[in-house]
Amino acid sequence: MFAGIFSVGRFSGSVRTTFLLSVVLLLSAFVIDGAAQKRFSKTYPAGQDVKLQLINRTGTVTVEGWNRPEVSIVASVEAPAANIAPQSLSGLILINLVRDNQGRETGDVNFTIRVPYNSKVDIETLIGNLQVSNVRSGLVRAHISSEGDIVLTNIAAKFVSAENGLGDIVFDGEIHEGGVYRFTSMKGTISLRIPFTSSFKLVATAPSTRNISLGAFASSNLTLVGDGRRITGRFGDGSATVTVTNQRGNIGFYSR
Amino acid sequence: MNCDECKHLIDVFMDNELSEAQAASVRDHLTVCVECSLMCEDLSLILDACSADVVEEVAPPNSQALWCRINNIIETEANPAQPPKPVEEPTRGRFWQLSFAQVAGAVFGVAIISSLLTMVAVQSYNRPPTDDFTTRSTATQTTFERLLSRVGLMTTPQQAREARLKEQHAAIEYWNARVLERRNVWNRATREAFDRNLRVIDESVHDYKMILQQNPDDELSGEMLDAVLTDKMNLLRDFSEL
Repeated sequence: MFAGIFSVGRFSGSVRTTFLLSVVLLLSAFVIDGAAQKRFSKTYPAGQDVKLQLINRTGTVTVEGWNRPEVSIVASVEAPAANIAPQSLSGLILINLVRDNQGRETGDVNFTIRVPYNSKVDIETLIGNLQVSNVRSGLVRAHISSEGDIVLTNIAAKFVSAENGLGDIVFDGEIHEGGVYRFTSMKGTISLRIPFTSSFKLVATAPSTRNISLGAFASSNLTLVGDGRRITGRFGDGSATVTVTNQRGNIGFYSR
Repeated sequence: MNCDECKHLIDVFMDNELSEAQAASVRDHLTVCVECSLMCEDLSLILDACSADVVEEVAPPNSQALWCRINNIIETEANPAQPPKPVEEPTRGRFWQLSFAQVAGAVFGVAIISSLLTMVAVQSYNRPPTDDFTTRSTATQTTFERLLSRVGLMTTPQQAREARLKEQHAAIEYWNARVLERRNVWNRATREAFDRNLRVIDESVHDYKMILQQNPDDELSGEMLDAVLTDKMNLLRDFSEL
């Protein structure tokens, strides 16, 4: 078809050849892209107390709370395609890509998962970013074995744990009475944005940089120990426990 | 005839084998001698019993029990029963009647037993859990703990730390061997990410070890060393499952 068009036109042979090659390349790119990426999608009905447990190998995981009694899992799967086999086990939705793809080389799997607001969320990955937002439940846990950022926004949970190797951790949420909050990084920046009305016992340790910024939360009850490598004490009546450790990075507290 | 002669001839007389003259002499003697006549009667009874037509051997009803009874009787006769001892009233101050050696032995025994019990109790109470060394240092040790450490009843913070490090290194070696087996199937990006993370962890381990060499009582560095070694172990374990 293109040959017919160009044969009668005013284009020279070299221009025509270049254009045809470009078109071929563009089409092949689309074909390759279509073959390289797959899409996975599945929805599960969810009860009142559902827990999502995801263990990914590489890729970004985004979990959002929504106002529907169902869990929606959408994943874009890069080649070589990983096997994704979610299991729904009496209130637990489990996706374990490490177990299901052991001994195989797989490409990144990027998840976007929507869960009811009150779901417990427990997500892990070996490499990649984790994001959780709009979750109000008993548990939010995000763990990266090696590198990747963790961003937890609009979280209201009694137990929160975020842990990574290389990468930043951002927590923007509430500190509940009697709750336990742990943030651990090997190298990166840990930023906690919490309400000024929070009350907690704090152990914040940055042994390498000694850079712990309490911001508005600085008070006489919080004291430096170990030559400034750690800040420990209480803010408010100290009913919750906040433990922050950054081996080779900074720690910052910000008022919400 | 006298008694001796009579006794000598009596059994032949009973068998009617004496001459008439001798038998008459024996009969005469038996009429005048009570003792010999009684002996003759006894002998006559025995001979009658022996000459009965059916001899029944009656077994004792329980031969074992019979032998026991016989044995008991023999023993009783051999050791005549002692008269029962009168019950003695407990006398006051009996303790003071013990000899010095007895008292000293008892005190020594009690001391040994209580020492052993104390030693066991102290060792059990003070044996730190493996993850406890991070909160212990010579600075936080009480005098009692120092004393126990000196006599070997309690591990020092350094010993506890070394024991913990040994455990962690053993676990790290195990997981590292598994990682080495599998890392050739990882893609390049995974290998690079793993190596980057391991490098940062190893830098931290090195830093804390240096600090602890200079200041073994630095609790915080001890705690952080423990934490990074745990991180290293977890990293190796997680990637070994790929």
